[in-house]
Amino acid sequence: MAMTETSNRNEINKTDHVTSIWWIVVAPTVWAVHFLASYLTAAIFCAKVADSDRSAGEVQLAVMAYTVVAIVIIAGVGWAGHRRQRDGHGRSPHDEATAADLRRLIGLSTFLLSLLSAVATIFTALVFYFVGTCH
Amino acid sequence: MTFLLLGDISQSTLDPAGVGAERIAELFHWMLSGGVLIWLIVVGLAVYSVTVPGRHRPRLTKTLVIGGGAVFPTLVLTSLLCYALAMLPALHQPAPKTGLTIDVSGVRWWWRIGYRTGENERVETANEVRLPVDQAVEFKLHSEDVIHSFWIPALGGKVDMIPGRETRLKLHPNRVGRFRGVCAEYCGTAHAQMAFDVIVMQQADFDQWLRDQQQDAREPAGEAAVRGRELFRRKGCGACHTIRGTDAGGRVGPDLTHFGGRLSLGAGIKTNDADNLRRWISRTHDVKPGVQMPAFKSLSDRELDSIVAYLEQLN
Amino acid sequence: MNADAPSNPSGDDRLDANAKRLLDAWRTPTRWRYWSAVNNSEVGFWYVVASFTFFLFGGILALLMRIQLAIPDNDFLTADQYNQVFTMHGSVMMFLFAVPILEAISILLLPEMLGARDLPFPRLSAYGFWCFVIGGVFVCGSIFFGVAPEGGWFMYPPMTTEYQTGVGVDIWLLGLSFIEVASIAAAVELIVGVLKCRPPGMQLNLIPLYAWYILVVAVMILFAFPPLIAGDLLMELQRSLDWPFFDASRGGDPLLWQHLFWIFGHPEVYIVFLPSIALIAMIVPTFARTPMVGYGWIVLAAVGTGFLSFGLWVHHMFTTGLPAISIGIFSAASQAVAIPTGIQLFCFIATLLIGRVTKSVCLLFTLGGLATFVIGGLTGVMVAVAPFDYQAHDTYFIVGHLHYVLIGGTIFPIVAGVYYYYPAVTGKQLSEKLGRYAFWLMLVGFNVSFFPMHLSGLLGMPRRVYTYPAELGLGTLNLISTVGAFVLAIGFVVFLFDVLRSKKNQPLAPRNIWNAGTLEWLAEVPDKPWGVRSIPIVTSRYPLWDQPGFVDDVDAGHFYLPDAEEGLRETLVTSVVDADPIQCLRVPGPTFLTHFAAIFTGGVFILSTYHWYTAATISGVLAFITILVWLWTGTAPIPEKQEKDVGRGLTLPIYVSGSQAVGWWAMFITMLGDMTAFISLIFGYFFYWTAHDDFPPNGSSGPGWIWPMVAVLTILLAYSATLAARRWNRQDHATRFYGAIACGVVLSIVGGLALLYGPLTHQMDPTAHVYPAIVWVLTIWTALHVVLGVVMHLYCAARRAAGRMTARCDADIVNVTLYWHFLLLTTAITVLVIAGFPLVAK
Repeated sequence: MAMTETSNRNEINKTDHVTSIWWIVVAPTVWAVHFLASYLTAAIFCAKVADSDRSAGEVQLAVMAYTVVAIVIIAGVGWAGHRRQRDGHGRSPHDEATAADLRRLIGLSTFLLSLLSAVATIFTALVFYFVGTCH
Repeated sequence: MTFLLLGDISQSTLDPAGVGAERIAELFHWMLSGGVLIWLIVVGLAVYSVTVPGRHRPRLTKTLVIGGGAVFPTLVLTSLLCYALAMLPALHQPAPKTGLTIDVSGVRWWWRIGYRTGENERVETANEVRLPVDQAVEFKLHSEDVIHSFWIPALGGKVDMIPGRETRLKLHPNRVGRFRGVCAEYCGTAHAQMAFDVIVMQQADFDQWLRDQQQDAREPAGEAAVRGRELFRRKGCGACHTIRGTDAGGRVGPDLTHFGGRLSLGAGIKTNDADNLRRWISRTHDVKPGVQMPAFKSLSDRELDSIVAYLEQLN
Repeated sequence: MNADAPSNPSGDDRLDANAKRLLDAWRTPTRWRYWSAVNNSEVGFWYVVASFTFFLFGGILALLMRIQLAIPDNDFLTADQYNQVFTMHGSVMMFLFAVPILEAISILLLPEMLGARDLPFPRLSAYGFWCFVIGGVFVCGSIFFGVAPEGGWFMYPPMTTEYQTGVGVDIWLLGLSFIEVASIAAAVELIVGVLKCRPPGMQLNLIPLYAWYILVVAVMILFAFPPLIAGDLLMELQRSLDWPFFDASRGGDPLLWQHLFWIFGHPEVYIVFLPSIALIAMIVPTFARTPMVGYGWIVLAAVGTGFLSFGLWVHHMFTTGLPAISIGIFSAASQAVAIPTGIQLFCFIATLLIGRVTKSVCLLFTLGGLATFVIGGLTGVMVAVAPFDYQAHDTYFIVGHLHYVLIGGTIFPIVAGVYYYYPAVTGKQLSEKLGRYAFWLMLVGFNVSFFPMHLSGLLGMPRRVYTYPAELGLGTLNLISTVGAFVLAIGFVVFLFDVLRSKKNQPLAPRNIWNAGTLEWLAEVPDKPWGVRSIPIVTSRYPLWDQPGFVDDVDAGHFYLPDAEEGLRETLVTSVVDADPIQCLRVPGPTFLTHFAAIFTGGVFILSTYHWYTAATISGVLAFITILVWLWTGTAPIPEKQEKDVGRGLTLPIYVSGSQAVGWWAMFITMLGDMTAFISLIFGYFFYWTAHDDFPPNGSSGPGWIWPMVAVLTILLAYSATLAARRWNRQDHATRFYGAIACGVVLSIVGGLALLYGPLTHQMDPTAHVYPAIVWVLTIWTALHVVLGVVMHLYCAARRAAGRMTARCDADIVNVTLYWHFLLLTTAITVLVIAGFPLVAK
């Protein structure tokens, strides 16, 4: 009967750890902030500051700094996610009704999203490597 | 693909005649080959997965998702991005200041074109851009009403013309020939009929042409043409059109000083010959619905002939 | 569960009586009252039918265009007719089909997938649906009177502000804004549905992938639609009051519209695409007979796409003359978004590989859709490469690309979804044979029609042209496209015939016909209005596969809420992450109030289109009153008892307020959307600053700083009064509560007036220049929110006076306080910008 397969629910930690799902969105949010900061810096610099030779060297430096900060945070989040994912014996697919598997799944998603965010952040930074003017 | 191309006027991006268009066409061919390959692999895998019965090892699927779904696309996209980004600075770099600068304004639904011939001198024409071959040309783009987009597919990419802003575009033709440009941004009723001719010429021919353009309109020769000039004045055509050297100084419509030398009329939509011009003047809105010019339906055949004779002589 | 229940000899009788009561509570009204239904099965079904009707309308428009373009220099349509037709085709397909259909399918199926009896706000869904129908008919109807909008579905000013003076643009702006509001309502509903209305035990690692996707999509709607609504507001203000937001001669800038439109417009593509992929994620495991491979990877892909899709909007503006550096940034993000998309595809392929595949029409449409979509994805990567886009932008290459994405990525999966879910919804199965015909006709027709467009685009054919000269040699390609379009249309006719043909003589389909593993397949055949007999405990992603005896237990009423003792509609509310049961939520039943609310709201928009402002105002007042009555009678009723036994020995509260309650979440989510619209207006302010050398312009005094300061301080005090009112209500200090509310009302009115007085006293003329105009917009926006805050104060006081709010049952004042958090933030930002920025910028 249904009784038996629900017994492992007891393992679940009853506190509603809403905070843990926010981990998933931290890395993409860092990407978004980095992205917006880079875009706004470039757009405002080119519209308001750039002089006649249209060089954007200052923007390149600024974005380099943003990128270092962003990558450090994303790497930290990714590492934390990776640890959660590897927590205990767990291997995918993390599909059990246990607190541990929930934690692992959130860890896995956090980890993967930080990889994606890192790639996207580096993509943004690459632009400033190749393009150094406001033309 | 050449079998699909037209005899003499090209509006194709795949038959480039300019440095920018060439590089972009090359980029496209690379992407096309890569795309076909990737499509074959992905669809091949999908078809295989449903047609070949039997379970496959889960380990394989993991490799597939990580390798095929994540790592491979990331590598391909990174290389593509670097390749494309490396192209950008050259495409956006303005033409050398010593070269030719042309002002183009989008007007519903035609093109006002001005060649900068001196510090504050401009020679104005319309709906036809002539360019010297093997020279980078800087276009300054404006709009007098709505947003238009200036595009000569054979020479390079397009740039929008936006009210209140000046945008710019560099084109670098490297082949002599006749091409067609169009408005690429939807701009209202006659958007489909807002085109222009592009003629890339040898430097010497171009210089000669530009010198000719700087001249005032030639005097009409023959009785019909003289009558045509008079009618042109009397019917008030000069309120909208300029013919330099006469009292016609309107700025609403295209400058007609050297109209007869242009290859097409109605903003690149019909060959510039007497028949088409007659039709254009008398049944304007049948030729180009929405056009701002009023149709001169009341002109008699004789009057029409005279005006046509006059205008066709203005080369 | 009650382990002894099955052994109880009288158990079956008792269950029958329970079932009867449950059925009575959920019974669908009959005859003309049928239309008062608000349950997700009815509203969702109508929604699907209405969306498909608009789809057919849009499809017919497409065929008209293809006839016109079949040969060069054709005169089947005039230029103006063609321009109306293509504008309506795009607008209808995007606003009246693509977005609504995903909401429709989700309203219909999401509660079933979550084992819930209904969504938390059924009347909101119904209201949204009726708004959608009214707005949709209004917008579509315009073409029969020849006054349809003809500015393209993107409506670029200044063409649409200064050069198209007819009513068409207003119909577009107001009609579609109205529908956008309905979309946001549905998004609120779906977010709360996924987060709060899951069955007990369905923690976040177990929810169906469809729910993950819908959660992401609904959040995207929340952040994508408000910028467009803000843009619509600015454009309508320019059209009706001559405030020069997009008029370059008075400091405005047409590019602001493009930014606002595409901040909506690009996420929109993924808003349309992800739900269809979500359907595939439900279909593939069923036909592969195995759980989806890479659940975590798909969550990554859904969330990642959701984020990245907000970093792509400028790729629609690559040719507006932006610096290479800006273009590069958006090009890079447009490339990056391909990565999560690829991951999803490979997860599907991997699932099929390890599974034991059963072939069916659903799978055929799924695979056909994937093969098609991959082409659209690859051309998408191409146009994301900026230099190539300089050539391809606004040509038929893009038309080809976007239809490969939307038809391959959206329509094919939706058709697959119809074949898949048809038996669950109607009890009858569609014909596999007709399905195969339809599939091949559609696949071949589609490719014949749209593949040549890539080439015609590269050969120089721009978009949105009603004719092209024969000399360009585009005739053959266009003729092929037209032929293909008709083959595609025939495929749709076959499909429609299959869907609509009478199936009276056809036997009922077996329950769970495809042997799927997810909860929506609990649906009985024919379906019962209660959704599920009892709300199950879920311990697996595929409970029907993995939990032994699951269906029998559900049917026997062994799980939660198998009864409706009080004859009321009830469903479970669970916690966000773990899905622990926390409330027995009573959801409202059938009503006609939502119709009146929708009609009157529609009246405001529709009457304004024709500048009948008096009538529009009356309609607005009526809408306001109807909505108040609806809220007053339908929301947060105080239950006759605090708690209730929901079965299996579990007792849950019936009334919950604060962050556990669905109403609180709805307010929170709505206000996020509201803030997004507000931030879009703020973005406008600073956009003008970047576009101008002097902004605020020299010589303009701005609104000064004194009155804005007065405003922000009084609003702060009014906010404190709100907090005090909440506190004193909880402590049951009636006098103090009413006192606090009274203070709040007075202070708010003072604050609102002070806010308006700033620009007023400085003679800021909004028609003179864009600077006063944008200051006025921010001020009025904030002042209107203050007015709403006052109404909410009064509402709470009235609720308490009428005994509908008590010290314990205080959801009203709690939610109003939440609103006031956002109101304070809005006021502070407004004042900081309009009064603070000029001091810094000088």
